[in-house]
Order: sequence, then structure tokens, then C-alpha cells
Amino acid sequence: MKDRGKLHHKNLQTLFYPKSVAVIGTNKVTGTVPGDIFINILHADLQGIIYPVSPREKSIGGVKAYKYVIDIEEEVDLAVIVFPSSVAKLALEQCGQKGIKSVIIISAGFREVGEKGQAKEKELLEIAEKYDISFIGPNCLGVINTDPVSRLNASFARKFPAEGNIAFLSQSGALCTAVLDYAQAKNIGFSKFVSFGNKTDISEIDLLYYLMEDKKTKVILLYLEEITDGPGLMKAARDVIEKSHKPILIIKSGRTEEGASAAASHTGSLAGKDEICDAAFKQAGIIRCENIEEMFNIAIAFVYQPEPKLNRIAIITNAGGPGVLTTDAAIKSGIHLAQFSEETTLALKRSLPSTANINNPVDVIGDARADRYVAAISAAFKDENVDGLFVILTPQSMTDINTIAKEIATVASQFDKPIYTSFMGEADVASGIQILQKHNIPHYILPESMCKPFMKVYQFHQQISKSETITEAAAVYKSKEAKKRINSALNSNKKFLHEFEATQIVSEYKLPVLKSGLTTSAEEAAEVAKTIGFPVVMKVMSEKIVHKFDVGGVILNINSEIEAAEAFLKITDSVQKILPGIKIDGILVSKQVPEGLEVILGIKKDPSFGDVIMFGIGGIFVEIFKDVSFRVAPIQKNVAFEMIQEIKASKLLLGARGKKPADIECLAETIVKLSNLALDNPNIKELDINPLIVLELGKGCFVADAKIVLK
Amino acid sequence: MNQEEVKHRIKKVVASVLKLDMSEITDNANFIFDLGADSMQSMLLIAAFEEEFEIEMDVDKAQEVQTISGAVEFISSYL
Repeated sequence: MKDRGKLHHKNLQTLFYPKSVAVIGTNKVTGTVPGDIFINILHADLQGIIYPVSPREKSIGGVKAYKYVIDIEEEVDLAVIVFPSSVAKLALEQCGQKGIKSVIIISAGFREVGEKGQAKEKELLEIAEKYDISFIGPNCLGVINTDPVSRLNASFARKFPAEGNIAFLSQSGALCTAVLDYAQAKNIGFSKFVSFGNKTDISEIDLLYYLMEDKKTKVILLYLEEITDGPGLMKAARDVIEKSHKPILIIKSGRTEEGASAAASHTGSLAGKDEICDAAFKQAGIIRCENIEEMFNIAIAFVYQPEPKLNRIAIITNAGGPGVLTTDAAIKSGIHLAQFSEETTLALKRSLPSTANINNPVDVIGDARADRYVAAISAAFKDENVDGLFVILTPQSMTDINTIAKEIATVASQFDKPIYTSFMGEADVASGIQILQKHNIPHYILPESMCKPFMKVYQFHQQISKSETITEAAAVYKSKEAKKRINSALNSNKKFLHEFEATQIVSEYKLPVLKSGLTTSAEEAAEVAKTIGFPVVMKVMSEKIVHKFDVGGVILNINSEIEAAEAFLKITDSVQKILPGIKIDGILVSKQVPEGLEVILGIKKDPSFGDVIMFGIGGIFVEIFKDVSFRVAPIQKNVAFEMIQEIKASKLLLGARGKKPADIECLAETIVKLSNLALDNPNIKELDINPLIVLELGKGCFVADAKIVLK
Repeated sequence: MNQEEVKHRIKKVVASVLKLDMSEITDNANFIFDLGADSMQSMLLIAAFEEEFEIEMDVDKAQEVQTISGAVEFISSYL
């Protein structure tokens, strides 16, 4: 099969910049999708020729119409198919015959309506592959390119947006029209605007690679409903961020989906789809947004303002309360309040009344007019200790709102530092906000809302400076023995491997395991315990028992052969009482590790992202505390350290309240080895190592319990 | 009624509903792609066929018929 990615890249250029466009299936009826799309292309002043293709019309909108696209004598760059789904394939076939390589299929009635629709989609893909066509859709709103050299509005959106540097890609067409309306009200422009619908051929990944090189795009926004190729998306995002330094902001819907309730392991239970998505996005450098408002709040900060060098801000306000609220929010977000230099303090003292607060946050006092704002903003901009400004205004009777807005824009244009504003209120401040927006000064209704965008921009640029390329998802170390054991279990229809079996597999990948032996009698248990050396731990091994503690299946601190024999009988007795008739494979006798911190490591196979590794505070309460972090394999050691530092209880591992730090070096290495194990064994569905006992620095860590769920 | 007669009457109905010349309607013409029927006209065609042939068709199945030749086969199954 040909490399469709490269083909799409080439064909997307023609799709966004066509010299000629055929609208196949259009008609004269305004207010219908086929009719409006033609009119929209016409009215947007396309920099090219447009051909209506309609079986029954001689002309549409004064433009000569053709019965079939193959009847057009001239070359056609882009076809927009608006026919119903039942005949979309006929239209696409003719596009192929005509030599058209770029197509937008607007028609609905495909995968979204069930199996029959899915089959129709497959037919479209077969035709596309036959003729080297790349198509967007089906089931989409269309494509808009505001670049003056194109001015393409191949969509049925009501508006043609203003030119800008934000690219917006969406799986939902309806959301697109709402976003266009929202953006117009806020004076936000777009470079490219794409509704990609069912993404049968061209996906968000192809679009990301195209936009990586698009000179008009500075920020990429993406609304996704489903992730079909998680690793592909992560790689594309990393490539775009590393090579073009363009931030990618994504809203991924479906946060509340419940998929973990029936999981057979702690990892399976804790690693919900949304947690994995969060982790994968973080790993790829993607900024995940909660909603459209937050997305645009952050996007305008990226597009309109320079990046801050560090995260020290100055707050300038004419009202104390909002200043304090913003300070609280800033500190909570990780922003530092700048310490003004002596020159700044002096300048503020000279230009502000004695009642003003010349410390940060600077209060220019309620009766401040533009001159005070200008003086304070200029002084703060000039200060080397200030990396960015938050300016707050509340409308008092004497506040010259519009003048202040204009002056902010004028002063801001003289400095290479970011400035964000919040003119609080609605009716009185509306004209001032419009002035700010017109001059590309980010404005936020609530002053606290300035903090997140500032930090996202700051963190993004920090991340670029230390980003590392994602390595290929393949195991570095492979084990034939592990595969043999797993295949043998699968051949005997075994889906659950208990501690002894799981430990044998993890030991193949050099994870630190304890000496142990599976025993089937009290005498054997005593003998194995003696060989291993006391103290030992004894645990029941059964495919049917997931939580051994709950059935009295674990005894610790066994210090003699007699105790070992007694423990054997006690465990088997307890288990049989609670679960009568259950099949027990034996009692595992293993070396008891000295006291250490109990952590959990796990693997979960995710349908979108592949192998996901979990780390967190372990033990029997793991699902209560849920203090865990996730990453997608392969995991390098630096990422393993990030995982360790990310959990709330990381301080315990780093040495809290006089305790010595734990061996996080060994822990990080174990996480890396586990990631390798996951990649080498596609038949492992879930794996828990709980607990992994982490000893003091230099003393290592040990797998104290493990279990594996097979596919 | 033989197939040729059915075909002729179908073409006559189509020409009337879609306001086309009979000569424009080929045997394999697709109602939407070749003859430009929209969704409303597709429904009108079904009703007109029922009236012409005095039959009652399964509407869901009738909507799946896309061509003149397909309609000949489908309608013949009711005659």
C-alpha cells in the first residue's frame, strides 16, 4: 500500500489552495446544504474558478453548470461532493476519472448511521486509494481557508471568518458553526478552519502535519470525539511542537466515560480512558482544554502576545479586591509576583498618589484615569524583574475606559513582554474591550482567568527547550521464555496469572524479584521456607482469587519451619471456609523484604494509545487514594522520574520528616523495564505489581506481589 | 405486463415528476446522480409509481432503489 500520509500532505496543499473547484451535486435552492455551499464559495471571493455540477441545472448563480464533473474541459483541483451518501461514491469515481486528487465529502449518512453506512465509507476509501485521491469527511461541515491568496469557503457555515493565525480542526461540524460565531464576537480570526467529520481518509494527524508547515498558522486547536491512532497523534503532536514550535490545544470530549468498573486489576480500575488521554497528551506536549472558552483564552495568549521569559508578573489594578483575587489565583497557578526594582518603586512613587499601593499588586486607586495606568504599566514593563503584566480595570464614574484601552495598546506595542487585561463588568466596559481585542490585547472577563493562559504559554516554551523525541514503540529487550509462558497459559485458556506465574514473567525482564517457591503441602512449605531463609511471607495462589488479603490468604513475618507449616494450614483453611471448593494452585513462600515504601506499578493495554504504564502509592488502599500517574510506553528514565515526581506522595519517596530518601533510581529503572515488558508482550491486557517495596537509596526495590491478566 | 412495458411506464412517470424529456432517461440512469432527483422528488417518485402500477411498495426498500433498471426489477416483483 502506498504511503497515504505523504499523498495527503501533497493533496492538502491543493485542497486549501485550489485554482479551480467543482461543487458536485449542488442546486439552486438556498437554505439547503448543496445550494449554500456553492453560494458560500462564490461569495467568499475564491481566488480561482468555480464549477457547479448539477444533473439538471444549466447554470447556478449565473455560472455555467455541468451535468457531470467529467464534462468540465479544464483541470479541476478540488471537488466538493454534496450529493446524498447513496451516490457519493459515483461522484468520487468520476473525480478519479477526471484526475481530481483533493476532495471534500460533505454528505452525511455513513458510519454514523450504522453498518450500511460503514460499508459505504469503505467503498469511498477503495475509490480514493484506486485514484490517489485524498478526501476530508464524509459527514462534515467543510473547509475554510482565509488566506487572501485562496479565500476558500467550501462549507455550509453561516460566516466566513476573519483572517488570523489560529487553525481550528473539529470532528464535530455543529461545533464549528458555534465556534465561528463565538470567535467573531471576540474579534478572533482563523488561518484554516476544518471540519473533518468521520475522518475516513484524512485524519487529524494528516492535518497536523500539514499545519506544521503552514506559514499562516501559529496555534492549532483541535476538537476530538474519538482517538483512533493514539501513538500516531502523539508522534504528530511532538513533531509539530518540536519542529515548528506551534502549540496544540485539544478538547477531547467523553471525559466521563466509565470503562473501568469491571477491571480485574488495580491498574485496570484506575486507568480510565480519560486518565490515559490526559497522560498521553501531557507526554506529547499537547495542552488539553476543558471547554471552548478555555481553549480560546489560551489560544489568544499564544497568538497575540510574546512569550514570557520567566513567570514573574506585575498586577496593575484600580480595585483592591480583584487585585487580591488575581494574586491568589496567580500564586495557586504557580506564577510568581515580581519583586520590583528600586527604580520601578521610585517611578511608581513619583507618578501615583500617596494613597496608591506601589508594591505588587499595584493599586492605582479607583479614581485612576489613563495617565496613572500608563505610568504604572510603563514602569512595570521596564523592570527586568517583570516577565508579564496583568491589568485590571473596574468601571468607576471617572474611569476613562476607552482611553485606557487605547493607551494600554500603545504602551504594549513598545515592549516585548506579554500583557493580559481584564476590564471587569459588561455593558460599561464593552467598547473598551473591543478596542483591546482590535489591538490583539488578550482580554478576560474574570481577572483570575488570565493566570492559566499565562502559565500555559510559559510552560509550553519551557517544555520546547527541553523536549525529547518520542522513541519508537518497540521493546529493546525481548524474552522468548516470557512469551512461551504466556502462550502456554493462553493455550490452556488461562486468563489470569497469579503471583508465582507473574513473577516468573517479570523476572525475565530483570525486574527485581524475591526468592520464592510454590508449595502444595505444609511439609514442603516448611522446607522451602528454610531454604529461602527467614523471615518469609506465605500467600495463597489461585486463578480465582484477586484480592488475597480479603480471604485470609496472606501471612507475614514467618520465622521458623513450624510457623511455615502452620501458616500453610491456616491459609488453606481460611480460603476454603470463605470460598468453599475453590481451586488452589498452591501456597507461595517468598522472602520477606525489609520495611520500605509500598508503591504500585502496572500495565494496561489501551485501545487508543497502546501500552500504558501506571505508577503510584501502593498497598491495599491504592484504589481509595488514587495517587497515581500514567505514561504511554516506551518510557525513558527521565519520564519515569517525572511519573515519580507527579504523584502527591512523591515527597515520601524523596525523604520526608527526617526519613532517608527511597531508592528512586532503582524505581525509575524498574518502570523503564516494565515499559519494555509491556511492549514485548502484546497479549498482556493488564499487569499489577502491588506492592513494589522501595528501600532506602542504594538498597534497591523488590516486587512483593504481581498478577497478570491476559487478553 | 412485460419488462419493456414496465420500463416505458417507469420512464414516463420519472419524466413527469422530474420534468425531463423521455430521451434524457437512459435505462441505467441513477435517479439522483444522473437525473438530479432530490429527497422530496424521490418520495414523489415512489408515490407516483404506486399510483401508476396500482401497487403498495415497501417504502424503506423502495428508497434503496437507485436506477431505472433497479426500479423495473423492484416494481416487477409487485406485479
